[in-house]
Amino acid sequence: MTPQFVLEGTVVGLAVGSIYALIAVGFAVLYKSTKILNLAHGELVLFGGYLAIALTTAAGHLPAPLAFGLGVAGTLVAAAALGFGVERAVMRPLFGQPLLSVIIVTLALGYVIRGVMVGIWSGETRTFPLVVPPVVVRVASVPVPLVGVWSAAAAAALLVLFSLFFRYTRWGVAMRAAANEQLTASALGVSLRRVFAYAWAFAAIAGAVGGILLGLWLGVNFALAAVGLKALAALILGGLDSIPGAIVGGLVVGVLETIVGGYIDAHVRLFGHPLHGFKEVTAYLVILLVLMVRPYGLFGTEHIERL
Amino acid sequence: MAYARPCGDFKTSYAQDMALLDVRLYRAGFLLLLAGLLAAPWLLGRWLFLLNDIAIFAIGATGLSLVMGFAGQISLGHAAFMAVGAYTSWFVTSELRWPFVVALPASALVAFAVGAVVGLPSLRIKGLYLAIATLAFQFLVEYLIVQTVSGMGGTPVPPMDLLGVPVDTEVRFYYLALAVWVGGAVFATNLTRTRVGLALMAVRDRDYAAQVLGVNLLYYKTLAFALGAAYAGVAGSLFAHYNRVIGAEHFSLAQSIDYVAMLVIGGLGSVWGPHLGAAFVRTLTQALKIAAPLLAASVPMLGRATTSVREVVFGAILIALLIWEPGGLATLLRKLKRYVDLWPFPH
Repeated sequence: MTPQFVLEGTVVGLAVGSIYALIAVGFAVLYKSTKILNLAHGELVLFGGYLAIALTTAAGHLPAPLAFGLGVAGTLVAAAALGFGVERAVMRPLFGQPLLSVIIVTLALGYVIRGVMVGIWSGETRTFPLVVPPVVVRVASVPVPLVGVWSAAAAAALLVLFSLFFRYTRWGVAMRAAANEQLTASALGVSLRRVFAYAWAFAAIAGAVGGILLGLWLGVNFALAAVGLKALAALILGGLDSIPGAIVGGLVVGVLETIVGGYIDAHVRLFGHPLHGFKEVTAYLVILLVLMVRPYGLFGTEHIERL
Repeated sequence: MAYARPCGDFKTSYAQDMALLDVRLYRAGFLLLLAGLLAAPWLLGRWLFLLNDIAIFAIGATGLSLVMGFAGQISLGHAAFMAVGAYTSWFVTSELRWPFVVALPASALVAFAVGAVVGLPSLRIKGLYLAIATLAFQFLVEYLIVQTVSGMGGTPVPPMDLLGVPVDTEVRFYYLALAVWVGGAVFATNLTRTRVGLALMAVRDRDYAAQVLGVNLLYYKTLAFALGAAYAGVAGSLFAHYNRVIGAEHFSLAQSIDYVAMLVIGGLGSVWGPHLGAAFVRTLTQALKIAAPLLAASVPMLGRATTSVREVVFGAILIALLIWEPGGLATLLRKLKRYVDLWPFPH
C-alpha cells in the first residue's frame, strides 16, 4: 500500500464520503426527531436521482445549466411533497405502534416507491445530460473528476446550511427540542405533528440531493438504493442520534471503503480467487465491528436501561 | 366436553387449559384440514406446485416466528440462513455424494450452528441495532455466495432420493414436504407451551425482567436464533432439491423481507401466523406472476409498468394491514373463532 495509494484513496473517499454524510444526516434527523429508522431511505435517494434526470432531460431544449437548475428545483419540491405525503398518509396513523411495525412499514414503503419507479423508468442506468464538463482536476496532486469536486463542495455547503438551519431558525430549534425530549417540547407548545412532517420532508430532501450528486458522478441505477444502507453504516459508526457523528461517520466510511475495499479488491486473494466487489461490503463489515465493540457509535448517547 | 365452547369458560383441569385444540369442533376442523392437505394432489391437480412452494416457505417462516414472534428479536437476514441450509444440502449430496436423508438433518444442524453464532450479538445489541446487524449478515452471505460457489449464475443441485425412492414428481415432493411441514409446525407449537417457549416470551416482553426472574438471556436468545435458523436451513435444503438450482438471487435481501412480510401479514406471536402468512404471500406472488403478463397483454398502454406490480401491491398490502389490522390474518382467525364460540349470541 503505497503512500500515493493512500493519498488518492483519502481524497476520492472524502469526496464520496461527503455525499454519504449528507444522506446520513437526513437519516439522523429523522431518527432523532421521530425515532423512526427509515429503511426506505435508499429509495428516497433513487427517487431524487431519477426524477432529477427525467426533469433535466425534459427541459433539454433550454441551456444546460438552466435545465439542470430547473430539474434540481423541481426534484427538491417533489421530494419535500413526498416526505410530507408519507408522513401524513402512512406514518401518522402508526404513531405509537411498536418499533417492529414501523420498521416494516418503512420497508414496505421502499417496495412501493421502488416498484413505481421501476414501472416508470425501468431498470437501466441513466445519466444526466452533460452538465459538468468531463475534465479531471488535481486535488493535492491526486487526479479527481471535476464532478467529484463539485459534488463534495455542494455536499459540504449543504451540511453547513443544514447546521445553520438547526442552530438559528425557529423550526430548526423546535425540531431539536422535539428530538431532545418529545413530551417536554410538546408541553412547551411545539407541534409534534408538524415537527414529524418537517423531519420527513427534510430526510426526503437530503436523500434526493444525495441522489442527484451521486447521479452526476456515477449515473443512477437501482444499485444506488444500496447507498441508503451505506449511509446507515455511517450513521451507526457515528452514533444513531448524533448529527455530527453522521457527518464524521459518512466521511470515514467513504475513505475506508475506498482505501481498504480498493486494496482488498485489487491485491487480496481468497483460495486463489481475487475478491471482486469487496468495496461494496466494506461498509457492512464496519457496521458489524462497530456494533460489537461500541453499539452506540462514536458520538451517540449511551443508553442506560432500567427495569 | 362441549362441541363448541358456549359463553363462559368451563375448563376444569390443567390439561384442558393447555390443550391446543380444546373443543371438538376445532379438533374436527383440524382433522378436516389435514385430510384436505393429504388429498391435495387430487384436489389441486397441476396447481400442486403452489402448495409445495407454500410448504417450503411456511417452514422457513415458522422458524422466523420463533425468533421474531416469540423471542422478539428482529431478524432481517432469514434468507441467509436458508442459503446456509441450501448450500449445505448441495455440498453433502453433490460433493460428498451422501444421500438426502443425511443432507436434510445436516442442513438443519449447520444452520443451527450458524444461527447460534449470529445470535450471539443479540445479548449486547437489541432492537434497531440488531436489525441492522442481521442486515449486514445478509449482505455478507450474499457476497460470499457470489464470490465462492455460485458466482452470478446458479449451482445445480442433484435430484432428491429418499431411501432409494426417487422424489422426482410434484406429488412425491409434496408428501415429503407436507410431512416436514406438519412435523415442524407441531414441534414449534408445542415448543411455545414448554419452558423454552415461555422463557422466549418472557425475553420478548422485557428481557431485563426475565433475567431477574432467572431466565438465562444468553442461552435463550442464542437458542431462539439457532432454532429459527435450523427451520430456515430445512426450508433451504428442501428448496434446493425442489428448485434443482440455487444462486444468490434466491436468498437475497428481498427474500428476507418477504419472510418478515409473511410473519407480519400472518400475525406475529401466533402459531398459525407463519402458515397463513406464507400461504398468502406465496399465493399472491404466484398469482401476480401469472396475472402481470396477462395484464400487460390486455392493456398494452401499461407496458412495462406491470413488471413491478408485485412490489407495489405487496408493499401497499403490508402498509394497509399494519395500519388497519396490526395483528395480521391470525387476528382475523381469532375473531372468527370468537364468533363461532359465542354463536348465536353477538357477545
